[in-house]
Amino acid sequence: MSRVRRGRRASIALLLLCALVSMLLTACQGVRKEEEKTSIRIGISLYRGDDTFINNIRSIIEEKAKEYERESGIKVTLDIQDAKGSQNTQNNQVERFISLGCDVLCINPVDRMDTSLIIDRAMTAGVPVVFFNRQPVEEDMNRWDKLYYIGVDAKETAVLQGEMVVDLYRKEPEAVDINGDGVVSYVMLEGESSHQDSLIRTEWSVQTLKDGKVPIEKITGGIANWERSQASALMEQWLADYPDTIELVISNNDDMALGAIDALERADVMGVNVIGIDGTTPGLEALESGKLLGTVSANKELYGSAIVELAASCALQEELPSEYPLTDDTYFWTPQEILVTKIKENP
Amino acid sequence: MLGRSGKVLLVLYIVCLLVLFLMCSTNLIIREPEQEIYQISVIIEDVRSDNYSNFRKGMDQAAVEFNTDIHFITLYENLNVGQQMELMDREQQDGADALIVVPADEEQVAGKQMTIPVILLRAGVAEAAGAGNIVIDYEKMGEQLARKVMETLPQGTPVYMLTDSSKQSAMDAMFMRGIDRAFEEGGRAVRRIAREEEGGFRMAFEKIGMRKEGEAVILAQNQDILTEAAGILADNAAAAEGVKGLYGRGTTMPILNYLDRGLITGICVTDEFSIGYYSVREAVRALEGAGSVPTVMDSYYIEKEDLREPAFEKLLFPIE
Repeated sequence: MSRVRRGRRASIALLLLCALVSMLLTACQGVRKEEEKTSIRIGISLYRGDDTFINNIRSIIEEKAKEYERESGIKVTLDIQDAKGSQNTQNNQVERFISLGCDVLCINPVDRMDTSLIIDRAMTAGVPVVFFNRQPVEEDMNRWDKLYYIGVDAKETAVLQGEMVVDLYRKEPEAVDINGDGVVSYVMLEGESSHQDSLIRTEWSVQTLKDGKVPIEKITGGIANWERSQASALMEQWLADYPDTIELVISNNDDMALGAIDALERADVMGVNVIGIDGTTPGLEALESGKLLGTVSANKELYGSAIVELAASCALQEELPSEYPLTDDTYFWTPQEILVTKIKENP
Repeated sequence: MLGRSGKVLLVLYIVCLLVLFLMCSTNLIIREPEQEIYQISVIIEDVRSDNYSNFRKGMDQAAVEFNTDIHFITLYENLNVGQQMELMDREQQDGADALIVVPADEEQVAGKQMTIPVILLRAGVAEAAGAGNIVIDYEKMGEQLARKVMETLPQGTPVYMLTDSSKQSAMDAMFMRGIDRAFEEGGRAVRRIAREEEGGFRMAFEKIGMRKEGEAVILAQNQDILTEAAGILADNAAAAEGVKGLYGRGTTMPILNYLDRGLITGICVTDEFSIGYYSVREAVRALEGAGSVPTVMDSYYIEKEDLREPAFEKLLFPIE
């Protein structure tokens, strides 16, 4: 009997030993020495690298990262990838960023409604995400306290765009109502239908014109997906369909406004006012030469700085910088300004 | 009650479980072959990476194929060789396995002693190529462009070269040397127009437009100047009237767009995607002790109608 008891005790001891050894082995694998960070790695995925505005922001991010590196002495490595308009590609890029050990992700989502997979991966890996330019839906943003968004207030943008025309109309009605019939006939160039800014910009720029008592009439409108070439083709068609009618082109961004200008130049049509949004480099050049009546520009330097500083703070697990106050601890809205062509300003 | 054989079986069962556990959750028994990921740092001579977009695509492709992790680094100040060499040291200290460098100053960078392999993208002539180098013969490229320009150049047409001495890289210097040599051999002269502090080349274009010598041919020292010049022609119809043709080099999107719009007449290009790819491949070869061989890249002259040629389409708009 005692031999049986001894044998049972030995078996239990063996089992316990096995469990202990297993636990030790597993625990040993997870031990990693915490080190003070002297470098950070930021994974950046752009929805489309050929978008002029996004390209501007990318350049500023690169500059600001170098500035941050010089000032703080912390090495900043940027991994910048172009998702080429594919959410699937962007998801793969996020996985690669995480496997490469990025400390933080800066994502310009392809599909703002479909960021859940990115958030899942980031949450699992414990990597904070700074979204920018295309705002994920609120439900997704509320899933984790390490998700941030940097962009512009689309309604503010649209109101400023509308105010630009209202101001000009009040000063010189004939500069807007070119044919003097008491009605400003306009066409509308819209961005992607799935982009929140496109819908809000379209609605509020027109609303601001109405609120400002500008007598407007919509001739037609169309979606040109933020692209110059598509906008140019639409405008060419409208010029053929509505000759000598269009007085104002309202565009959701500068690239499409430039497309409209291209079509106007090809058709040799003069005097039509074109307004855009973004203040891109080509947009500002067109503004300078008087081809573009005006644009609304975000403070892009601040936009880029906010992305880099916020990302760096997240990566270093430091307190977020107070220069960039966050609404609801999540959103940073970049200030904007109206830029009007000098030719119209000082006729 | 367990019999003796039962106990033995129980112990065997537990040992089996333990072994299985160790096999699954640790690498103590079966060691998975560790695939080494090489850290390669790429340091260019510029403050911006805009002129390197196809190069980066090639690099990214090679990074996936050769299992490397690429860090792309630009300088704080354009063509600052001291800074570039500091960055080379920093990357070596930070654990980079190899470096790919577009030298701000070939002589100084090539002479720098490093303990890790360094692949240089040289602008030198093919004969000067050494192991671990990728050579784009910019002098030959300049000659090629000049000869193409001269094929359709009427006698007496003035030829101007837009230059910016404050931003002149080794590549620019060799490219201009090639152009000068070819024009000299053809019995023609190239007049230099330096970039002005204020207004860049705008005034120069206005002066060219006002000349009574007839239309002029304009050559650009590098991509940035070519883009700027094409932008001036796009905005200023009067300036464009005095220009017979605008030529240069580069494959950036703005340059290709201007070529497509007819504002640039002709450009010399290299296969930048392949340069990016080969540079990473050579770095990996050097790391694996396979002995790196010099790679000399060809250059091609193209005009607007060549943009749609399948061979050039692949070269200019590579798909990752």
